[in-house]
Amino acid sequence: MNFGRIFHNLNYAVSALLFLIGLYTVAVKPNLIKKLIGLNIMETSVFLFIVSVGMVDEGVAPIVTGGYKAAEAVGRVVNPIPQALILTGIVVAVSTTAVALSLCLKIYERYGILNATEILGREEP
Amino acid sequence: MRRVAVIGVLLIIGAMLFYAIGKMPPMNSRNTPDKTHVVPRYLEKGEEEGGARNIITGVILNYRGYDTMGEVTVIFSALCAVVALLDREKRGLSRSGPDASGVRSSIIVRTVVRFAFPVILFFAVAYMMLHGEASPGGGFQGGAILGASVIVFTLAFGLPESTRRMPLKVRTPLESTAMIGFLSMGFIGIAYGVNFLTYLLPGVHGTIAQTIRNLMITVIELGIGIGGGIIFISIVFAMMREDKFELRPDIPQP
Repeated sequence: MNFGRIFHNLNYAVSALLFLIGLYTVAVKPNLIKKLIGLNIMETSVFLFIVSVGMVDEGVAPIVTGGYKAAEAVGRVVNPIPQALILTGIVVAVSTTAVALSLCLKIYERYGILNATEILGREEP
Repeated sequence: MRRVAVIGVLLIIGAMLFYAIGKMPPMNSRNTPDKTHVVPRYLEKGEEEGGARNIITGVILNYRGYDTMGEVTVIFSALCAVVALLDREKRGLSRSGPDASGVRSSIIVRTVVRFAFPVILFFAVAYMMLHGEASPGGGFQGGAILGASVIVFTLAFGLPESTRRMPLKVRTPLESTAMIGFLSMGFIGIAYGVNFLTYLLPGVHGTIAQTIRNLMITVIELGIGIGGGIIFISIVFAMMREDKFELRPDIPQP
């Protein structure tokens, strides 16, 4: 493994780390809210990764202002496509989180706890 | 035991991820394939084809317009699912009465929110939504800030005060503005005999065509912003309960 390259791609490494933290939380923690938090951490790691792909050194926002010439601009302008993709992703993440949280609310109303293992082990009330 | 197994699997996944990262081209480079193949075209033609000085707005509303329409549908379906699960705030056992806990937020919080709320609202609507095609911003971002401002207000003043100022019968029609705006602007294209969601109408030329396109984009942005913001507000209102959960009488307490 090329550690120098990993250090240079620090955002990618951090996003991989966040992904692992989120996956660990989802897999190990029994509390449903904590599982949701883990899921959101995983989503955030993917967003960080994809936005980082589009980054450029000393980049500027992809907004056309005045004498904007493509030839010189291509090198400096941040890639707009990942940002547009991530905008979609964030909205979808918010939507899934909202639905999951309301499911958690219903589960809590019915069982009084949010511990997934206990709920699975418990008989249907 | 389970934890050890999970950590083992995570170590394998992590090794694969970091191996792949070691092979990736350096970050912030200007020569990665994503910046040399598709982007130059977007940056060169984005303004005239996409119709917005902010290329991201052009990508979202024009190149990927159908995708954004699907996204609007997704948040609307999320609202439908939340409402189907939890019901609106007007019915239910404890959600319509006065603040059951009887706790008021401190005067510092309430004063700061009272001053900040209109500023946040102005920022969301005037800067993010209306100016989003020429500066950082756009419909979804403006909608998120709009929703956040009302949620902050609700946290400071309580749900009854908030629902009194933004009652359900005002919110219900506004929730669908995003989809209505998108569909109506899309069907203008079909009415002119071109594809769905075409901004440049045939038979119209010059500055008038540009003006019409800018108007259509502004309508869609406003629709997405207001619709999305109100959807977020409604989701939070549906989830909020002022006191502890009350079990329905027909379900025995476990």
